[in-house]
Amino acid sequence: MIHVGWWLLSFLARALDPPERDVVLGDLAESGAGFGLAMRDLLGLIVRRQVGLWTSWRPWLALFGVCGVAGLSLSSLVFRLNVDLYKYAAHYATSLTARQEVAFLLCLAGALLVWSWTCGFVLASLSGRAVWLTWSLFYFVVLDSAWARFVLAGNIILRSPRTHEAVLDSLQGTLRLLMFTTLPLSIAALLFLFPALFGAFVGVRWRILPVRHRYLIGSVNIALAVLATWATGWYDPAHLPAGWPRVPWPVRLLPFLLASWPAAYLLACSLPTGRPKDQTSALRPVPEP
Amino acid sequence: MLGEFEYLLLSAAARLGDGAYGAAIRRDIEAATKRRCSIGALYTTLDRLEAKGLIRSWMGNPTPQRGGRQKRMVRVTGNGVHEAKAFYDAVSRASHGVSWAADRARGPA
Repeated sequence: MIHVGWWLLSFLARALDPPERDVVLGDLAESGAGFGLAMRDLLGLIVRRQVGLWTSWRPWLALFGVCGVAGLSLSSLVFRLNVDLYKYAAHYATSLTARQEVAFLLCLAGALLVWSWTCGFVLASLSGRAVWLTWSLFYFVVLDSAWARFVLAGNIILRSPRTHEAVLDSLQGTLRLLMFTTLPLSIAALLFLFPALFGAFVGVRWRILPVRHRYLIGSVNIALAVLATWATGWYDPAHLPAGWPRVPWPVRLLPFLLASWPAAYLLACSLPTGRPKDQTSALRPVPEP
Repeated sequence: MLGEFEYLLLSAAARLGDGAYGAAIRRDIEAATKRRCSIGALYTTLDRLEAKGLIRSWMGNPTPQRGGRQKRMVRVTGNGVHEAKAFYDAVSRASHGVSWAADRARGPA
């Protein structure tokens, strides 16, 4: 088999657990099968293993809990931070000072950083080898779901800034939309992307954090949720017309709690269960009898 | 009761004895059935049989033929032998008196 073919097979085999990867690549080398057959065999095993991962509740919790619940809340936060960053320097229209605006933006940015890292870590820790799928979904949910909700509700109409025609009516507009929906093109999106990637990287390598780290992350998450709730308590009314009703604090706290629930999961994992830990590897090497 | 492929796999592993590992079992099954055996089916079935306690597997030594990579060695356990025998007996009983089994007993025409 040609060198490039082997490189490709070895690359794809990274989707398998390391011991199984070694065994399977060895079997393929020994069989002397051509690239096509070897690729078919390897892909068949990878698909079976990926499907097998979803027989556990963990990837489902990652999918619905982190991608769904926390992802939607983080998406709103990313959207909101983008809007608030855009509004910065327009504080003259409100009673806020520049220092207050900066403090609020830093509070939101800090919360986004920490919650993104925590979500990325818990997502990878729960998903195992399905992380490539769950993380990709998480990324698109956070990046696109908030503005997609506005578009679907008719609050945002996508039109080309020059021709004012509907975006999807031209190839250029379609490409721009594709780029906008797939790439992190805003500061807030980058503030989400890097910590979420780093958290997932740590989650894949470690799976479980030391108890002290979990308490630390849990405390920071809770503190940021409280801080963000408090900050929106004085920031939002300053931007509302006089006479508009204030949003009660439990309503303001709820989305922040939903975005930071993975921290609660980390803390819950610290509680003793009295059960042995799950074995995630499909192939567990044992000594020769 | 075992499935058909599980029985084929146990039979191949038992026949190969100390030389039973993934690639060798696969060759043996392909020779016996004259059909292709995919690596995916082989290793997921090995996992299932190991979870049922019918085989035991461990990592064997690497060989140059395999590019220095390890083998997954397999041994059929006592339970595995018992289950395979039960399957074989059941198939033999079920085949009693049927035309193709009688033809088989007389030998090929």
